[in-house]
Amino acid sequence: MQHILIVEDSPTMRSLVISALEELGEPVRISEAASGFEALRALPRDQYDLIVTDINMPDINGLELVSFVKGNAAYRSIPLLIISTEGSERDRLRGLELGADAYLVKPFEPEILRRTARELLAKIRED
Amino acid sequence: MAARRKRSPARSKASREFVAEVDELLERMRADLADLGDQRARGSLVPDLVNRLFRSSHTLKGVAGMFGFEGIGALSHRLEDILDDLRMGRLDPRAPALDLLDEAVAVLAVEVELVGRDEATPEGSAELLQLQTRIEAALHHDPVAVAPPESLGVDESLFRALTEYEEHRLRESLRSGRLLYVVEAGFDLLAFEDGLAELSEASRALGEIISTLPAPGDTPESQIRFSLIVASELDRETFERRLDVAAARVRPVPAGRAETKPDADSEDGRAEGNAGDVATTPAAAREQARDDRPSALPEATLPGDTDVSDELHLRPADDLESLKSISETVRVDIRKLDELMNLVGELVIQRGAIGAIAEKLLGEPSVARLARELAKAHKMLDRKLQELQAGVLEVRMVPMRQVFEKLSRVVRRLRREAGKDARLEIHGGDTELDKLIVEELADPLMHLVRNAFDHALEPPGERVAAGKPAEGTIRLEAYQRGNHVVIEVSDDGRGIDLEVVRARAVARGLVAPDALLTPRQTLDLILLPGFSTREEITETSGRGVGMDVVRENVTALGGLVHVTSRRGHGTTISLTLPITLAIIQALVVGVGDQRFAIPLTAVLETLLVDPVEILRSEGRELLNLRGEPIRLRRLHAEFGLTAPAAGARQAVVVVGLGDVRAGLLVDRLEGQQDAVLKPIQGPVRTVHGIAGATELGDRGTVLVVDVAALIEDTGRRREAA
Repeated sequence: MQHILIVEDSPTMRSLVISALEELGEPVRISEAASGFEALRALPRDQYDLIVTDINMPDINGLELVSFVKGNAAYRSIPLLIISTEGSERDRLRGLELGADAYLVKPFEPEILRRTARELLAKIRED
Repeated sequence: MAARRKRSPARSKASREFVAEVDELLERMRADLADLGDQRARGSLVPDLVNRLFRSSHTLKGVAGMFGFEGIGALSHRLEDILDDLRMGRLDPRAPALDLLDEAVAVLAVEVELVGRDEATPEGSAELLQLQTRIEAALHHDPVAVAPPESLGVDESLFRALTEYEEHRLRESLRSGRLLYVVEAGFDLLAFEDGLAELSEASRALGEIISTLPAPGDTPESQIRFSLIVASELDRETFERRLDVAAARVRPVPAGRAETKPDADSEDGRAEGNAGDVATTPAAAREQARDDRPSALPEATLPGDTDVSDELHLRPADDLESLKSISETVRVDIRKLDELMNLVGELVIQRGAIGAIAEKLLGEPSVARLARELAKAHKMLDRKLQELQAGVLEVRMVPMRQVFEKLSRVVRRLRREAGKDARLEIHGGDTELDKLIVEELADPLMHLVRNAFDHALEPPGERVAAGKPAEGTIRLEAYQRGNHVVIEVSDDGRGIDLEVVRARAVARGLVAPDALLTPRQTLDLILLPGFSTREEITETSGRGVGMDVVRENVTALGGLVHVTSRRGHGTTISLTLPITLAIIQALVVGVGDQRFAIPLTAVLETLLVDPVEILRSEGRELLNLRGEPIRLRRLHAEFGLTAPAAGARQAVVVVGLGDVRAGLLVDRLEGQQDAVLKPIQGPVRTVHGIAGATELGDRGTVLVVDVAALIEDTGRRREAA
């Protein structure tokens, strides 16, 4: 079963993302991290096939997390999707340059999230 | 951007979650705005505070958008705009638009309340729309001169993960002549937070932390390295000397020199910042060209201010009027409320004294008319005092959510540290209790939750084998029951093994080997001092605090601890507590030549009994109360006073806490009175069955009976027999 890590500090947003992904049409396991720090701890504890992260978080921001994941041989190949509320265009581009695989703007249609997640999960299966 | 979700606001668990989170965000914003108001009045803003406010409004906008509350979303978007402009130096800290922030938060709070009652429309109330227009009008400031983003002139590779805001702070720091340092340290991957917190605190004391960048450590499987970018006015030597963290390495970031540097050259994608080779990378130049958000020089918005340092400075305000706070909430030191409460308590006592005088005068025919007027005035005073008392009490009330949230953080940490999964369910966070009680409860609850996590929940394998979900659940619930609040900590773990409890109690000499114990009594044994052992302290449950300390803390608050457990199904510990400690209504009783006060919240009824009605069975005295035997306790005997002459009719005060009842035998019932409970310091504190002292107007100081202590004994003795 593929494993998704969701990094998001807002509990409401987290449960919305989770409930969207629970209807992916294929069985997935979902883990949550409520901050960048929690994500850093979660990474070595398990195998993940997709990371979904917010940018604006209190401890380390999403870009710093992307930089950590993509700069680390052990995690580099995990597809990474940034979901962030409409905001700085520069931060969005920066995220993609740091190696994020896709970017979604909140509010998003659950179906678009599912489609993106399916594509990214398929990509890692092929690799 | 994706299409907005068109749907009517959901009436579901999700929408309750939404309301809870938004409430919390608004509460934090209110507190932060109060600080912001102070800082504006002082003329200097702390960037971190402004950024936190920005983040709150940003999150608010995001969740409102997802739920289709377009009105809330649009207003929080306006807030976000103002705060973004402020944090990015595009808005003068004295701008009138900032005066609307408090009002916006108040309007949002009202709107969210409507959401909670399912009365909100997606587009929002008229007030909300109107305020939005006002903010737009206020924000309409002339566009500030946009300076093309210049090269940072420093080693860029370290700064690739900076957000726009962090980069702004970096530019600000360089502009104000501060030096940049990279403070680095490696930590154990699974326990980096404490070390990092120490490093951050030490760095923050010397300057502003601009970014916290994680990188793999020397052994990436078990270590993590953090690079903090710190801007400081201190020179390198002073900075290094004062950064008193052993594991940290400091290196300065050379500024303003040219270098050519490929992007990811070192193994982990980070450059080592050699002095003398700095330049903008082609990538950075591209980003800057694409950067479509205007980024102004602060000089453009803060004319004449060259003293830019740690804080965003304002010129001394010549228009103080506009700085007037329009906040509708005030934060008050709890000690001031205590003083106020004491004062109300003393007034209540004085009122009692006046009442007594009025009553005496009513018996004097010569002053009957005046006496009646005095009695009337006294009655009015009484009513107003009750309102005052209720008002002060209400201010002291805080929702249990505050403690529950702390506990959920504890559980999250336990989960990480123990690598064991557990869900925390929280119910009744809105239940209110006196702040003092809530604070005193934090430690006992923490202990109960840790206990549940460490000992009660089985390892996942064991759970699955028992047919339970692999992930255990710890449930926290608070609810009001009459004059009390009940707080329950339950788990769906292995339950308490009565045999093991019994064996240990026998081994420790707490109970005779041949004692006959009901299951309930056996469970109560875990509350006895000396039952918990220090042998099995784990790091998390640690400190050798046992259930006896939990009970002691709760009893000191006038509460009761109750344990229920089902083998294989889980354990529930419930704490029954009074809603407030500050003022109690008491029944005053006479025992011998002494008076005692019994909290009225615990009194169920009073009755007079003939000695012949008292039944004796196996050394206990019982009273048949409408078919149910209740255990009697003689207060003379409890407190070592002279017993009354045999044969006299005696008064019984039937008291109850939770579902345990008992009768207290006293000589006289002297009426009901308000009492301000004062804890007793010194030797008396150890007297069993006394909770404290109170002053009763003309009757002087009397002792307050600790009903919980007496009832617990009764419960235990009742079942022990």
